[in-house]
Amino acid sequence: MDKKEVNETGVSWSFRKGFLFSVVLVATGFVVEVAGGAKGVAVPGWPLNGVILVLFAANIVIAALILRDNRFVAWLGGIPLGLCLIITLAVLSFFGGVLPQEPGTGPLWAQKLRLDGVFASWPFALTVFFFLVNMGLSLVWKTVPFKAANLQFVLFHAGFWIALSCGVVGAADLQRVIIPLYEGRSTARGYNSLSNNMVDLPFTLYLQDFEMQEYEPQLALYDSGKDRLEIDESGSTRGITEGMRVAWSGLEVLVEKYLPHAMRDGDGNPVPVDATAGVPYALLSGTADGKFFSGWVSTGSPFEKPAIVQAGNGLLVLVPGSPKKYRSEVTIRSGKGDKGQSEVLEVNKPVSVNGWKLYQMGYDEKSGRWSQLSLVEGVKDPWLPAVYLGFFMIMAGNAIFFWKGIKKM
Amino acid sequence: MTWVEFPYVAFSAMACWGGGSLLDVFSGRRRALKVPGILLMLVGTAIMVSFLVVFWAGLDRPPLRTLGETRLWYATLIPVVGFLVEYRWKVGWLKYYCVMLASFFLVINLLYPDVYDRSLMPALQSVWFVPHVVVYLVGYVLLAASSAAAWHNIYRNIRSTATGDEALSHYLALLGFVFLTFGLVFGALWAKEAWGHYWTWDPKETWALIAWLIYLGYMHANSAKVNKKWLQWYLALAFLVLLVSWFGVNYLPSAQNSVHSYQPG
Repeated sequence: MDKKEVNETGVSWSFRKGFLFSVVLVATGFVVEVAGGAKGVAVPGWPLNGVILVLFAANIVIAALILRDNRFVAWLGGIPLGLCLIITLAVLSFFGGVLPQEPGTGPLWAQKLRLDGVFASWPFALTVFFFLVNMGLSLVWKTVPFKAANLQFVLFHAGFWIALSCGVVGAADLQRVIIPLYEGRSTARGYNSLSNNMVDLPFTLYLQDFEMQEYEPQLALYDSGKDRLEIDESGSTRGITEGMRVAWSGLEVLVEKYLPHAMRDGDGNPVPVDATAGVPYALLSGTADGKFFSGWVSTGSPFEKPAIVQAGNGLLVLVPGSPKKYRSEVTIRSGKGDKGQSEVLEVNKPVSVNGWKLYQMGYDEKSGRWSQLSLVEGVKDPWLPAVYLGFFMIMAGNAIFFWKGIKKM
Repeated sequence: MTWVEFPYVAFSAMACWGGGSLLDVFSGRRRALKVPGILLMLVGTAIMVSFLVVFWAGLDRPPLRTLGETRLWYATLIPVVGFLVEYRWKVGWLKYYCVMLASFFLVINLLYPDVYDRSLMPALQSVWFVPHVVVYLVGYVLLAASSAAAWHNIYRNIRSTATGDEALSHYLALLGFVFLTFGLVFGALWAKEAWGHYWTWDPKETWALIAWLIYLGYMHANSAKVNKKWLQWYLALAFLVLLVSWFGVNYLPSAQNSVHSYQPG
């Protein structure tokens, strides 16, 4: 046997063993789920998770350095097993990507195997565990002794290792609460929707004002025969403007007047008012099946009925625009003597306070822009800096990978 | 220009690509056809680029929200990869696959026209919106081209006319993987700002992860020196997973509560 053949046999032996190992791993995980009532894996909280992670990492480093020439350890940290575990993770994620991931839903066999919560299940956890072992060992071997040529490998794999391990064990310390705020009132408590517990927060929130902007409303035709709302022929659901013409088959409508914020006066005629009080009104005219018609349409609000216009067999309605922006002006007080600080919470613009991040989450959707309620989400994730360190290392490694790839091309 | 004018644009672009491809194919016999062929194909892409520019200008938001809009970008960019590959490596055949793929996406848009909608929901109004989606688009474009190159290699291996050009499908996959990684991490950073956590196992996230793992698997299989012929099959089929993560997710039972459902209605 020449050297090349020996090598190939070695590789395929490693793959076969890796495949078998992955199958046994997943099968063991499923047995644990079925036997244990599909409860999933619970990660302990701080400080135990920190201790476990440090011990885990230390064991990997020691094993990698001392048992470098051991055949089993070499296989445990080799590419063939790594590849098998990557594919195993992809296959398990496939179940998680197809079946609804809410424990207690889906077919019974899936529930018994906890495929309704794959990502917190034993098969997934065991695979991730050995994935981290595999990646950790190879990482130590590429880092000690360090060569500049390995920088990309080290950054990418170390970043991934840190982000994955800290994300997994840090999940136990992640706190997410919903804080309902009513205009003119303050609160220092949040509601944990998973555990159904009230949580006392290290700060007080006072809602000064909740404010929402909407997109322009749209004109639509309600066809009572088909029980359907139809937009105009061209399929271009544009926001309404004065002077615009809209056509449906057999129906032509002219928007004579458009008042974005209006209210009816004593005689029932819409007149422009302050933006906070009014609703959009539009005066329409046109012909339906040869007959002239004219009248006001409005979107309505929780306090007044929408106005509609009969046109032939259909009804012309003004559909309220979707929300464009919503935000909460709040005063945040941390501690008793604190005078408080005014902040604005907006979607995509969270605010940090005492280790918590506050997010504009929602509002009372029935009241829309008249909502007096603002839902704020509070998130505390002490492991975030570690996960982000991992992310940035991945991106740095990725940039080098890109550069090397381009250069070789 | 809007979706109303789109059919004219799509048919003109496809006619240019088709006509250009024919001229290019026959330029093997008549060299004089080479330049007009290439020019005609470039005109097809120029039509798509102009449409995108005018479409964006009239929309007041980046046209990256709906699947139909991302298909527009795809149809515009994927032939560009074909042209660049020909310019850089003198590999001429890839652009035929590329314009075929691009035409396929235009036809989908013709069959299922998108509703013209200006609105952009608050969660998408973020500095991350454009980089996240654009990085993914470029990644998908490169991996589609990689898959096309792999299919071509498989065809050549079966016909055993010549050895395939495995380096091409490999480098396209490598670059595509780099972009997928950036897209995934950008998405995580954005999710933290918008929804409070960087990873929530949303079905779209899960599928993006599956696709990423599949290509991560390819990278390792390549490092482990797995048979190059098998790897062409791997790359050719891996793109199917990417297609599921791109627009198959919306049809899966898991997607009912996805935060990535931006389709109107």
